[in-house]
This record gives sequence, C-alpha cells and structure tokens, in this order.
Amino acid sequence: MSGSIGKPTPFIDAVQKVTGQAMYADDYRMPNMLYVSFFRSTESHAKISKLDISEAESYPGVCAVAIGKDIPISFGVLPISPDENAIAVEKVRYKGEIVAAVAAETIKAAREAVEKIKVVYEPIKAFFDPKDSLEVCAPEEQIHSHTKNGKNIHKTAELRFNEPEKELEIAKNKQSGFFKFAGVTHAFTEPHSTLAIWNRDDTLTVISATQVPFYLHKNISKVLGIPLHKIQVKKPTLGGGFGGKSDPFPHEIITAYLAKKTKRPVKCTFSREEVFITHHGRHPTELSMSVSCDDDGIITALDTDIIIDGGAYGSFGVVTSYYNGVLLQGPYKINKFGFRTRRTYTNKHQCGAMRGHGAVNPRYAVEVLLDMMAQSLNMDPCDLRNKNFLPENTLTVGEFRITSNGVRECLEAVRRKSDWDNRYGKLPFGRGLGVACGFFISGSALPIIWNRYPQTVVHAKLDFDGRIVMFSGASDIGQGSDTLLVQIAAEELGISMEYVQVETADTKITPVDLGSYSSRVTFMVGNAAKTATTKVREEMAKAISKEKDVTAENLIFNNCRIHTKDKSIDLSWEEGVEIALAGRGAFVESGYYISPKLGGDFKGSGAGLSPAYSFGAFISEVDVNPNTGAVIVTKVWGAHDCGKALNPLSVEGQIEGSIHMGLGQAISEEMRYHNGQQINANFFDYRIPSSLDTPDMDITIIESNDAEGPYGAKEAGEGPIHPVLPSIGNAIYDAVGIRMMELPITPEKVLSKMKENA
Amino acid sequence: MDYYHTPSTVDEALTIAGKLSGNYTFFAGGTDIQNYRKQQLDTNEYVIDLSEIEELDSITIVDGALHLGAMTTLDKIVSSDEIQNHYPIIAEAAKTVATPVLRKTATIGGNLLVTNRCTFYNQSQEWRDGVGSCLRDVGDICQVTGGKNDCYSRNVSDTATALIVLGAEITLMTPNGIIQKSLKDIYLPCGIKFHDLEERCILTQISVPIEPKKWWYKKLRLRKTLDFTSLTVAATIDTAGIARVCLNGVSMSPILIEKPLKELTLEGLISIARKNCKTVDNDLMPLKYRREMINVYLKEWWKSFR
Amino acid sequence: MGLKQIELTVNDFSHPFLVESDETLLFTLRNRLYLTGTKEGCNQGTCGSCTVLLDGKPVLSCMTPTLRCVEKKVITIEGISSGENLHPVQKYLVKNGGLQCGFCTPGVVMTAVPFLEENPDASRREIKEGLSGNLCRCTGYKKIIDALENAAAEMRS
Repeated sequence: MSGSIGKPTPFIDAVQKVTGQAMYADDYRMPNMLYVSFFRSTESHAKISKLDISEAESYPGVCAVAIGKDIPISFGVLPISPDENAIAVEKVRYKGEIVAAVAAETIKAAREAVEKIKVVYEPIKAFFDPKDSLEVCAPEEQIHSHTKNGKNIHKTAELRFNEPEKELEIAKNKQSGFFKFAGVTHAFTEPHSTLAIWNRDDTLTVISATQVPFYLHKNISKVLGIPLHKIQVKKPTLGGGFGGKSDPFPHEIITAYLAKKTKRPVKCTFSREEVFITHHGRHPTELSMSVSCDDDGIITALDTDIIIDGGAYGSFGVVTSYYNGVLLQGPYKINKFGFRTRRTYTNKHQCGAMRGHGAVNPRYAVEVLLDMMAQSLNMDPCDLRNKNFLPENTLTVGEFRITSNGVRECLEAVRRKSDWDNRYGKLPFGRGLGVACGFFISGSALPIIWNRYPQTVVHAKLDFDGRIVMFSGASDIGQGSDTLLVQIAAEELGISMEYVQVETADTKITPVDLGSYSSRVTFMVGNAAKTATTKVREEMAKAISKEKDVTAENLIFNNCRIHTKDKSIDLSWEEGVEIALAGRGAFVESGYYISPKLGGDFKGSGAGLSPAYSFGAFISEVDVNPNTGAVIVTKVWGAHDCGKALNPLSVEGQIEGSIHMGLGQAISEEMRYHNGQQINANFFDYRIPSSLDTPDMDITIIESNDAEGPYGAKEAGEGPIHPVLPSIGNAIYDAVGIRMMELPITPEKVLSKMKENA
Repeated sequence: MDYYHTPSTVDEALTIAGKLSGNYTFFAGGTDIQNYRKQQLDTNEYVIDLSEIEELDSITIVDGALHLGAMTTLDKIVSSDEIQNHYPIIAEAAKTVATPVLRKTATIGGNLLVTNRCTFYNQSQEWRDGVGSCLRDVGDICQVTGGKNDCYSRNVSDTATALIVLGAEITLMTPNGIIQKSLKDIYLPCGIKFHDLEERCILTQISVPIEPKKWWYKKLRLRKTLDFTSLTVAATIDTAGIARVCLNGVSMSPILIEKPLKELTLEGLISIARKNCKTVDNDLMPLKYRREMINVYLKEWWKSFR
Repeated sequence: MGLKQIELTVNDFSHPFLVESDETLLFTLRNRLYLTGTKEGCNQGTCGSCTVLLDGKPVLSCMTPTLRCVEKKVITIEGISSGENLHPVQKYLVKNGGLQCGFCTPGVVMTAVPFLEENPDASRREIKEGLSGNLCRCTGYKKIIDALENAAAEMRS
C-alpha cells in the first residue's frame, strides 16, 4: 500500500489553521446581516407573568424581537425527551435561560435593545440539590409537568443481572464507597456561533458551530415548520466540541427563526459567559458502589446506585443515565452486575454529553474500589486487574459483543514503561503511582432517531480532473475526520493525498452522517469511505481491463500508477482516469455502514451497544505536598487499544488531549454555583490546566486489529479519558495514603482527608 | 473632548485629568481595568492612557536605591539583571502575575494599584443582576457576608506584597507637586475605597533602598499561571534583624507585620496575622483552607531561616 | 465616546477608517478589517487566542484599545509569514500535529514567534512557561511544545 494509513499524517486543514485562513462560524459574514443578542433569565425557577418587549421593538436598529410563544414547539436531541423550548415559554427553569432575542443592525444596537426589555417573574421554589428533586413536591413546583409521581426525576435507568445484591450480601471480600463528582464542562476554545441565511427561494441555510448538522437540520424543521428539503445545515471549521456542540441548541433555532422572520442573514455568537451558561457538560454525580471478589481476586459482583444532576432540561440525559451503568461491563468480566441511575431535573444549566459520556465518573469509582480491593487482598493492583480482564471475542453479562481486545497489552506496556514493579509502593512519602483501566464504545450501534437508513453514507466522486472528492456528512470537529477520508481514498486508490479533497458536513451536498459523537466516526465513516473508494477502484479496474484486455484483479493501484505485476500494462493515474470515464463521464460511488444486529432482547439492552470497544490502561505519577494538599501530576503513561492507528499523530493527540481533560476534572475543574448561578463562568475561575499544569506524557498505541473496523481501527477520542482520573486518584493513595472519593481533588480536600487519616 | 487620551508626559496627563472633572480612568497597561470597563464596573467616560509616557518606563539604581518607573512592564522586571541581582523577590513576585504575554503589557504601577476583587463583584452586568448586586456595586447588601455595612473585597496585588516587605517608597505626582510616601500607606482596609490617593495623582516611581535582606515569597493558586492570588506571603529579614511579613489576597489591603525577629514567635506571628486578616469567602478557594494556608505559609517561612 | 478617524498599520499596510473610541483591537481587526484569523475565545484576557504583535511585542488584542495602536505597527496571523513559506513555528505545528481544532493556533503562533526570537535557546520547560497564557483544550500541549522545540532548532540554524 502506498497511502498514508498507519503513518503520522498532518491534518489536511492544518496549514489553513496555522495561517488563520480556516473559517470558523463567527468568521462568516453576509451582506445585510443582522446580529442577535439575548435577554436571559435572572431567576432560577419562575413563572413569567409579564414580558414587555415594546421598547426593544422600537429601539433604533432593531428589526425583530422573538419571544417564547413565537416558537412554541419543543425539541431536544433525543426524540424521547423533547422538553426544551428555544425561548422560555411561560416559565423559566434556570438562571441564564433565554427569555427573548433581539435581531438588530449592529451587535451594539441589539445589546442596547435587550436592556429595554422588561419582565416580571413570579418565583417558584427552585431545586438546586438533586436529592431534593427525588422528593415529592407540590405540582406547581415540578420543574417539568411530565415527570412522574410528583417528583423531579427525569429518568430512572436500571438493569440487573444474576442478583449482584445477594452476592454482595454474603461476600467475604467486599469494597464499598460513596463517591461525589462535581459537574465539569467542555470548555472548547471556540464559543458557539451560528449564521442563518434566509434565501429568497424560501430555503434556509444555517452555518453553525455544531457536531451534529443532521440533528440540527431535523430539529429546525420540526420547530420552525420548514420542510426538511428546504433546509441546509453546514458545519464550518469547528473550534472543538467534546460533546458540547452535539445538541441542537436554542440559539441555533432562534437565529434561524429570526432569519426566516426578517428574510435577512442573522448571526449570533456567544460570549464566554454564555458558553458556560449553555453548558450541556458532564453531570454532577453522587454514587454508592460495591464490588466483591473471591480470595483469588476474581471479581464476583458489582452493584451501584447513582444520582446524576441533569439541570433544567433533558439533552442526552436518558442515554447518560444508561451509560453510567452499562459501560461498567468492561474491561473486567463481571457476571453479577447491577445498577440504577436516577437523573434528576434541577434549576441549573442543563447537562448532557461530554467526552467519555456517562461513564467517566462511575469508572473512577470502580477503579478506586479495585485498588482498595487489591490492597485488602495484598495483591498488586495491576495483577488484580490482569486476572479479571474480559477475553477477546466474548459477550459481557449485558450481551455486549466484545471483538478485539488489547487491554492486557495496554496494561503490560504502561506497567513496564513506568517501572511499576520497582516503584509502586516504594516511592518516598508524597510521591506515588496509580493505575486504572478503561473501556468505551466505538460508535453507538443504534441511532438517536430511529430510522432504517445506514449509520452513514460516503460518496466518492471521480471526474475529468483526476481528483477524488469525498462527500461525507462526517463532522470534523478538530479530531481530523476530514484527513481520515483523504487517507482512506489515497490508500484504496494508490494515489497521493493531494489527489483527494473533501466536501463534508453539509446537509444539502453531503450524504447524511449522524454526527461526531459516541466515538463513531473512525469506525463507521471509515468503513463507508473504504467501501466507496474500493468501488471506485473496481470501476476503474473494470474499464481498464476491458480496454487493455487484462483481468481486473491483476491490476495494481500504487504510487499514482495502475499497473500489472509485470508492468506490461503501466498507466499513469491520469491515463487510468481517462479510460475509466470514457463513455460515461464523471461517476460517484457510494459506501455505507450499518452496524450488525447486536444485543439482547431485554428492555434497555440497546444502551451501550457498539460494533467494537476500545480499551486502555493508564498509570499516573503524582507529587502531593502534605503541607498544602496540592497535587501535581508529574507524568502519565497512557496505553490505548484503538485497533489500528490510521493516523498515529491524531491518535496520540486524542490520548494526550484526554490526559489534559481528565487531569482538569481530577484536580482543578468544577462548575461552581451560588443559588443556581454559576460563580465561575470564565477562564479565570473555571480552571482548565495550562501548559505548565499538564504533565509529561508517554503514549503507547496498542493495535488489536479489529476484524470489522476499517483496516482494523476502533475509536481513540473518548476511551482514553476514563483511566486518567482514577489513575490519579489511586496515585494519591500511593503517595500519602488517602482515598479521594470526591472530585475535583482540590488541595483543601486532600488536606482535610490527611487530617482525618492521621 | 476626545474620549481617549495618550499624553506623553505626566504633566500633560494631569492637565488632561484636570479638565475631566473626575470622570476618567487612568490606563497603565490596561490589562485588568479593561475587564472592569467591559463589565460596566468602570463607567467613567474618559480614558487617559499612560502607556506613551516614556519617562515612567525605567529601571535604575541611583544612590544605593532601586528606582522603578511605574510604567515599567512586569516582563521587564522579571528579566532585569539589576532586579534579579539585587532584589530577586521583586522578579519572583512579578513572575507570578497573570501570564507571560499579559506581563508584556501589564505594568508595575498598574499591579500595585490593581482593583480589589470579589467573586460576587467581578462578574458581568447580567450576572450581577441575577445575583442581586452588592454593596460595592449598586446593591445594599454584601453577597458574601449578608452584612449591610462592610465590603471585604480582596487586594490581589502580588508585587505590592513583595515591595511592602522591602519598605518601598512611592512617588506620586499631583497638580500641587510631588508626594512621597511609604507604599503600604496607600492601602486602606476597606473593600470599596481601598486606595488612599489624592483626587488627581499619578503613581510615577517606586523606590527601594538596596540593602541585604533574607527574603521569602509564595503565592497560593491552583494553576501555575493566570490565576489571581488566593494568598500571597512575602517576608524579609534585614541586617538589623527586623522581620517584615506581608500577607495579601486575604483582606481588603495587604497586611504587614513588622517586628524584630527576636521578639517574634511563630505562634505569635500566626495569631497577629489571623487577627488582622479580615478574610471572607469571596474567592474560589474555600475560606477555611485559605485561613489554614496562612498558618502553613508562615510556618514554612519560619522554618526557612531556622 | 463616539467615532474617531484613525489610520492603523496592519501587516504593513496603513488603513484609514473610523473606529468607536472604546473598541478593542480585536474588534477592529475582526469586524472592520475582516482579518478573522485573530480569534476571540474569551474577550477577557484569559485564553490567548487573540494574540497579535504590536510593534513586535505580543499583546492580547481583546485587552488592547485600538486607539493605543495608532502610529504603531500591528502584525496579525495573516502577516506573520510573508510569501510562500510558513514560519518555522507554523511549519512544525503542522508537521508535529501541534493543533487539532486550530482555534487557539493563531494565538499560539503569535505568542511563540516572538518568544522564540527572544529566547532562541529556550528549554522545554521555558517553552512551556512562555506558552502558559495560551489555553488549548485539544492537544494537552505536548505536540505544541514538541513543535516549538523543533521550530527553535530550525530558527537557530
């Protein structure tokens, strides 16, 4: 193969990005464009008894003002919980919720007009603590009228296999713990931004910073009543997502509405504070968990009860609720297994999907409890884990089909590289090593919106210019999926990457892809791209074989040439293209990906199903200052089984980025609230690690070559975050002998725990 | 009248200020005050930008004293050989302020006169509307303590902490002439009016006598960059055995404790510090922890020379 | 307040236009000159994405009043490499994978170029230090630092 599959490959848009040429949503502008500013709630939970927009409407420069009843149809990323309105209707459910929107000639005029809006609220009892939301309340205090039994519980997800509670009752070796996790947010560097253009053929074009153009397209159609065939959603270059741009958002729908209403282009771009308010990040979580083992350290049961604080609306919450539990079925074999997750509504910013969706917090608990177990059994924590790994090609207790599995190799690699056996438990007081493993889906096998279409379709076009254009709905959000499409085409056709270009994430031009979430793109889009370009090659070979009287199978596509082994036929790529297009002209080949039928037939069996799973093992080294409680993570060894690294540069980048983000959640990041209002909605006080806070990293890529993945590949974008946090928590134990059960592990928590221990 | 002024001398700046009847803000580097303007916390109509005044950009040693022009950037201070040789504590303190790029614009004068901070005050207008405002803004209650009289916003100047223990003197230019006073005297223990400065004056110079001192400096923050201080402690012991310890970030003004070392015990020092610091829960690091760290830092300093 | 007529030299060309008296250089660059390579990540001086050069010195354009820049020279990401060749900093960010989403990248380039010019022998630790005002959420900084080490080596030779 002459392509770049498996070789470190700079992103195809990297030069554009380093020169400032790449166009992000806010970089687009249109003639005659209006700007949007929002009027937001200053109440956490209240009835809107009066809303007066008259002064704003007549303010100089204002073209339109929108309020809730203008767009009353509710929506949500999951069709099962469409509980949100683009603009609050009748009542507000969190501080910062949009109550009105102004479109004006300049952003200044829009902001000034917003200040002219008057509102009177009738406050309702607000819920900030998820435990309060579990209780029965007065009907008028319910955050949403659809919740059952007079409580503010959005979803209860529960699955049990083989009565784990019975085993745990009698188990001799049992570890239990209560864990608490603060909410964290994506903190991508590009604020949300949307430009909506109402075209005079009565179609709508939306250019938006989104990971999910398709879901945005569907929801705009639903809420604004615009037929699907009159909408185009385009994702420009995206400044990071991590799940934070994977919902259709109110501001996107409002901007589209205002464009439709004014028949003009309309743009909205968030301030950093608005980005924080919009949130949709990781749920604050409280959970208790128990794990039992036999005397040999073989895990016998796991049971957990989880409360996640969803905030005011549903978002991905139903999925999150399941993922909190089901994704604990690996990487260890656990036959007696159960969980219950309750997602509550509270009057705070809504939570949703964030890198490692749903499983990051309970993973921390599992790995810490296993560390405690190893200690109580006097076993090395690596050895204990080794004894319990799932094998390859097996089913988990909840009938997840495990195919390739490189977790053993992962653990072995970090164990060796960190010199674990000589250093664990032997470092001076204050320094320590900790280990943890992880496991994640490589794309959700089931779509969010049920349909009979494939997960993704990719078109590859060949025309007179000899160029392959890959048409894919896949959203490059910085992870490099556009580059992946080019690499695959180049690989399959034996041409250099410069012959391949992409058209992506445009719902009018590109075949639909469900979006960049659940780590699905490499596996699903990769397979579809491979099929499409294989078909182009076959078509070309067919034409050449006819013209040159040679068997198609004997033609080799390599180094921009098409030849037989003996070079009796040896064509340049351009000559091959001429022959292939003769008599038919440009052609397009299509590839698609459909997940195989997977899973059991019990209720809830669909959650967490994936055609493949990634695995990983990480070891962290920390330095804990026993006087101040400050934790410095000095080095992280990370090994991740991504099946096959199609682009090692980007796989490493994903693992390194996961270490950064996991470190942030572990020791410094936290959504902090005061009466439902976030007090650190800025980068001063929401502390994402800087270059000086991020540790040295040693990355190992393990390639287990998945039979169904494209060239053997699986995901690498989310799995690597799971082991990071517990490896740090466990290292702190090794350093100073305390078990941190609450995240973030800030200095004051370390210090007070050390005192407790002394 | 122009909104934005860029005088090239101190006299010119004072003359302009004289015409604006108090409705102006001086910009030194402007890196902090810009946020106050964006958040409508500083609503003065006019800006007098001092960054063109070259006479204030200097690091000199004259007659055994180090003189810093107030508009010298923190970056220049961090990398100055003179300062590193004679007063590494100043370089060290300056280096803990903000980020490398900000330090190329931010000035020593600006940092000494940095505005007091509070979690409930340093927020956008919409945010403050949401919480119901506070004493220092347009409200009538302190959101931190619930009190109706006192504001406890924190002085967060890291360089002030270091310069105070060096006994720095400052020069202020006013229309009526030059005023010289001790740096520590410009700070008031009040969260609303935290600087004791003439109506119309410009801080032009900071002077520190060069004499051998043992020094110690530490700043408490979660990250190694960007964060405002949660507690800064600086300390010196001079050749006469006088110890000067200054704590900042934990009260409305820097708290200086000055005593002959031989009259000092660690317990005594801690008790004075804790008594003088009016620390409340107006920072992201919890109150209890910040108080505890006062003890820890003082202890660490104490051990450093024992 | 109000508008003021100024001339601003950006990337070696002098533009005459009207600005609001209180606007920031970031706003002027993006909205009046349509030089959108300079990014607005926070507008609070916290992320470094809007870094540009003012008379050769890196500044955060979101904190810099436009009227302060009159008679000075502004260089933006669009002007950092002249002609066909990328600056070594850009070249190695591309080559070493020192960017993912790319949003912080212009700020990283505009910080790193003057930093490495000023500190040609910077150690890895010093490079980390020099970059500590540029928040990146994708890369974990490792490959950025790798790239800058390589760029420094090339700049030295």
